[in-house]
Amino acid sequence: MTKLPKCEDKKLGLLIDLDTCVGCHGCVVSCKEWNSSGDEKQLSDINSHQKDPVGTFLNRVHSYERENSSTNEAETFYFPRSCLHCEDAPCVTVCPTGASYKREEDGIVLVNEDDCMGCGLCAWACPYGARELDLVSGVMKKCTLCVDRIYSEELPPEDRVPVCVKSCPTGARAFGDFNDPNSDVSKKVRERGGVDLMPEMQTKPVNKYLLPRIKSKDAVSSVGSVVEEETDATGLLGWVDRALSKF
Amino acid sequence: MHPAPSIILFTVLSGFGFGLISIVGLLQFLSQISAGDIVIFSVIGLFFSIIGLISSFFHLANKKNAIKSMSQWQTSWLSREAISSIFCLSIVVGNIGWVFVQNRYINEVGIILFLLSLFTIFTTSMIYAQLKTVPSWNNMLTPALFIFTALAGGSILLLDYASLVLLLIFGVLQVLFWYIADQSFIHKETSVGTALGFSKNEDIRAFDVAHTNRNYLLNEMVYKVARKHAIKIRYISFFAAFVLPMSLILMFPGNFSISILVIGIHFVGIYFSRWLFFAEAKHSVSFYYN
Repeated sequence: MTKLPKCEDKKLGLLIDLDTCVGCHGCVVSCKEWNSSGDEKQLSDINSHQKDPVGTFLNRVHSYERENSSTNEAETFYFPRSCLHCEDAPCVTVCPTGASYKREEDGIVLVNEDDCMGCGLCAWACPYGARELDLVSGVMKKCTLCVDRIYSEELPPEDRVPVCVKSCPTGARAFGDFNDPNSDVSKKVRERGGVDLMPEMQTKPVNKYLLPRIKSKDAVSSVGSVVEEETDATGLLGWVDRALSKF
Repeated sequence: MHPAPSIILFTVLSGFGFGLISIVGLLQFLSQISAGDIVIFSVIGLFFSIIGLISSFFHLANKKNAIKSMSQWQTSWLSREAISSIFCLSIVVGNIGWVFVQNRYINEVGIILFLLSLFTIFTTSMIYAQLKTVPSWNNMLTPALFIFTALAGGSILLLDYASLVLLLIFGVLQVLFWYIADQSFIHKETSVGTALGFSKNEDIRAFDVAHTNRNYLLNEMVYKVARKHAIKIRYISFFAAFVLPMSLILMFPGNFSISILVIGIHFVGIYFSRWLFFAEAKHSVSFYYN
């Protein structure tokens, strides 16, 4: 059913810390591995071991640089992009077959592949590029928040988190209930000011991002002083500097 | 956006078909058409609508579930389009049968067909106009343009001077659509900054791409080939869809064989117009790849 539920109980999602992410693509690889193993529903690749390979991924890591306005230095950061499990998910309401749906019990947005006709309209409706049509099976693929892990009764309790969270070597990804004000993710969002992506699209994403902290001017000028400002040195260093400058 | 031939043909052909059906319906309601002409032109309209719908079917990656697209009419414009077009075409078939057998027609069926075919064209246009992710589509000019494109095309065979009025409205809407799509305010709210959670004017640049090859997102939504020749194609489109048809109808009013030629030229223009409609449209996901 493509009508959006209220989700008053739980809003499960990811909190991604761009300050901590080192852009290793570990989450991309583990996501691909988990979602391509175990049953017939695959994230397919075409020409995987040949020229021009193309494949379906639920998670992609971009790389950006931004100018620090106080130092005029470029600062780089990495940006993992995946489904945000929006409260007002436009990908769900546009679906003509009812394959796309949002779960009332936890807010996870899923695709029922048995109903999908592969029209691609949900991918057009998503502002974030979170959905990719699988070119082999012809059905739409998206992040499931590892619904087959988080509720698994076979996995040990510590593994019942999305595989991208489990595999992140720097702990840049956290999983939790954003509807619970006492959850770790909710606390971090409050403390560090978690943000929405493209709030102007009015999708109300559940996933939040913590933006990279801007490096202070001191951090930059202390690097610069070694290189450029040695003439200001005093004491022993100043004597060495003056002595060496004579030659 | 990727200008897929199957989608362009769908909107052009079914638009023309439903436009023709709506004009026939209007004339039937006003008793301005013979029973024989209702049958002939309804069959032509039916033919183009069905060819268009078949073309859209070829766009689907998983065709076996196409029938399920009738189920989500409460939220989905694509579902409404599927239901509305099938419903409208069923009434067209019924009307053709009735008129063919009885050799007379019921005026009220005409107004139902007129409204239902217009609604079908409207639902087609709303598939695109509903998308906030593509700001140049996300306004009421899109349905207006789709409806008057269909009405203008459909009227060429059946109306003389009235088709000039419809063509003129189409021409104005088309120029207005291109003008609005070119304005920078169309993407006023979204930038690479907001896409990444920063403020709108944050100075951010991608320094590496997220993958080693093209992918579905780039092929489908970050289509850039068109921008280079867009202005030239607009001139070709406008000349074929509007200027030539206007001139030919004015020079040879009421000449049926000329109007068939006009339809052919008009089709070429509308095809280019729809190609630009997709190829020039910028999707918000392209900000991640700026």
